[in-house]
Amino acid sequence: MRVETYQKAPSAFARNAPGYLFLLPWFIGFFGLTLGPAIVSLYLSFTDYNLLQAPHLVGLDNYARIATGDDKFISSMKVTLFYVVCSVPLKLAFALMVALLLNRGIRGLPIYRAIFYLPSLLGSSVAIAVLWRQIFDGDGVVNTLLWYVLGINGPSWISNPNYSLYTLIILAIWQFGSPMIIFLAGLRQIPTDLYEAASLDGASKARIFFKITLPLLTPVIFFNAVVQTIDAFKAFTPAYVISSGTGGPIDSTLFYTLYLYQEAFGYFRMGYAAALAWVLVIIIAVFTAFSFLSARYWVHYDD
Amino acid sequence: MTLTIDRRQLLAGMAATLAFSGIGLNRANAATSMRLLWWGSKERSDRTFAAVKAYQAKNPDVTIAGESFGWDSYWTRLATQTGGGNAPDLIQMDYRYIFEYARRGALLDMTPYLGKSLAIEDFGAPNINSGKVDGKIYGVNLGVNSSMVVVNVAAWQEAGVEPPHDGMTWEQLGEACAKVTAAKKRRGFYGTADQSGGEPDFECWLRQRGKALYTSDGKLGFEAKDAAEWFSFWDHLREIGACVPADVQALYKQTLETDMLVTKKAAVSYAFSNQFVAIQGLVKEKIDLIAYPSDPGSKPGQYLKPSMLMSVSATSANKDAAVAFVNYLVEDPEGAKILGVERGVPASPKIRDLLTPDLDATSKQVVDYIGRLTPKVGALPPSPPNGAGENAFLLKKIAEEVAFGKTSAQDAGAKFTEQAAANITRG
Repeated sequence: MRVETYQKAPSAFARNAPGYLFLLPWFIGFFGLTLGPAIVSLYLSFTDYNLLQAPHLVGLDNYARIATGDDKFISSMKVTLFYVVCSVPLKLAFALMVALLLNRGIRGLPIYRAIFYLPSLLGSSVAIAVLWRQIFDGDGVVNTLLWYVLGINGPSWISNPNYSLYTLIILAIWQFGSPMIIFLAGLRQIPTDLYEAASLDGASKARIFFKITLPLLTPVIFFNAVVQTIDAFKAFTPAYVISSGTGGPIDSTLFYTLYLYQEAFGYFRMGYAAALAWVLVIIIAVFTAFSFLSARYWVHYDD
Repeated sequence: MTLTIDRRQLLAGMAATLAFSGIGLNRANAATSMRLLWWGSKERSDRTFAAVKAYQAKNPDVTIAGESFGWDSYWTRLATQTGGGNAPDLIQMDYRYIFEYARRGALLDMTPYLGKSLAIEDFGAPNINSGKVDGKIYGVNLGVNSSMVVVNVAAWQEAGVEPPHDGMTWEQLGEACAKVTAAKKRRGFYGTADQSGGEPDFECWLRQRGKALYTSDGKLGFEAKDAAEWFSFWDHLREIGACVPADVQALYKQTLETDMLVTKKAAVSYAFSNQFVAIQGLVKEKIDLIAYPSDPGSKPGQYLKPSMLMSVSATSANKDAAVAFVNYLVEDPEGAKILGVERGVPASPKIRDLLTPDLDATSKQVVDYIGRLTPKVGALPPSPPNGAGENAFLLKKIAEEVAFGKTSAQDAGAKFTEQAAANITRG
């Protein structure tokens, strides 16, 4: 073989080829599994596709039904909004509280961090939802405790429409680990000299928290709020498992995604379900845009 | 090193490649390979695989790959496979879904095979018709089935009340159940499950009054006042303490494991007769099965239905072979014996006689029940319209609203009728 005595400058593409090669799995995944199906689903949302026959275009019929005459759309939206509004702030407050406790430099911190983070890893799994169902069952752990400690004969929490949604909200709060870790990282970013100066001035603990910690933490709070809100809108597994896919009793746990799933795979209305999915995309986009607009009034970036 | 290929060698090589691939193709065509999909328990899977194995031993050129899922994921799986043009050749079908699949062109019309490779004439007209949609055979009955009332005999004896029997009225059954609750022999134990949200039960009640869930032209076959009376009857049972409270009933998730009798909340529950063996397997105490209650002078409410059907995909590449296998399952002594009565009592009298002597006591109870019930049943109801599947869930939801005291029985009747009609209009 001939030895090259000089090197031609490689083209930009050739120089970056290894990079593209390593990105290839991501490209395949993104175009094949995310963008492609998304475009197909947008198309299907304008059809009456029932999985078994070829789809027919029906124009805006599906969207018109959502906008005008679908009680279940409204009731599932109400359930989901209630879930988002209750679970997200409580979860963030809880996460922040635990992060503050852990930030005090206690011994064995990594172990606590791991333990508190664990529910977040397991939380959306089927196993945990099944466990939750048993805990809040009529003869479950909660009622057994109530009986022995307080002598109260508790209701079956998951099967009573007055309480069932709250058990799911508690389940969501319990999965506070991932925002907690982010809060912890945010707390570490706050310069210690600010605290030293404040304590020299004799500021109270509450005052330090509200005047230093909280304002400097707002970017992290904002990030957590946006991510958790999007997650809460998409919640599916716990409601599916706890109500066995029905959203019952009396549609009290009929999350939006669960309703969408029922329409698609229960009643073969794939086109309508696709339209529901796109409406959810729009709702999440509006919420996120609103969060970003409001951010300029309460998020402080340290500069 | 250079590799040189002259033209002659190249041609020879290409010819050889073509020839070999040709052999490969021919072999693939000669061997018939099919896929079979079903839902159900491990017991059912073992029996099904055994039948497939026995069939393959007799027909060495046929291979059948089997897959089994739970009820819920089964329908998702089947719908996506069918939608993706990848439907299994052999499909275990349910009476609730056969209309949806057949009318949407997913199933093979087996009528031309009748009397030839599909020798099921001895099923009799009702059992052949149970697999028909719009006059054509789209499914073959894998077992005869009917609704039943399950009775925990031991719990009744313990309460000192005579266990219910065939021929009671609804009111008598309710009063007897109230006595079981009142006896308070067990903690949190009631006479009967709350079946106000059960579609088969509501249908039976309607038929006894000369009404139906759906008419043959796909409309509702009952009025608001019928539904209201049904809800009030159960309200009455709740008042006299005969049935379980609403939040206990809501724990029932349409599975045998959560059945009120299995979870020891009630002495009576309601299911289908092919589930009796499985329920007995889950309950240690002795249980019995009886017909639904009926008032004097009422029409037959119950009917015989296929517990499940076997269908062939309309897009199958091996339609003839698939139909031959279906016939093996229901008419060949070998295949039928392997399946037993796990999918219901065989429709063919010849096969039924062949199986009966070897059955265990619990299975015999079921065969005896179907025999006892057959003279008293009515005709199979007309095929439900598209969208009817949703109404089963609607009934459950509205029945829960009444049970939890959120709606009156009167309002619930009107609400159910109105929304059920809207669902079938939408299809």
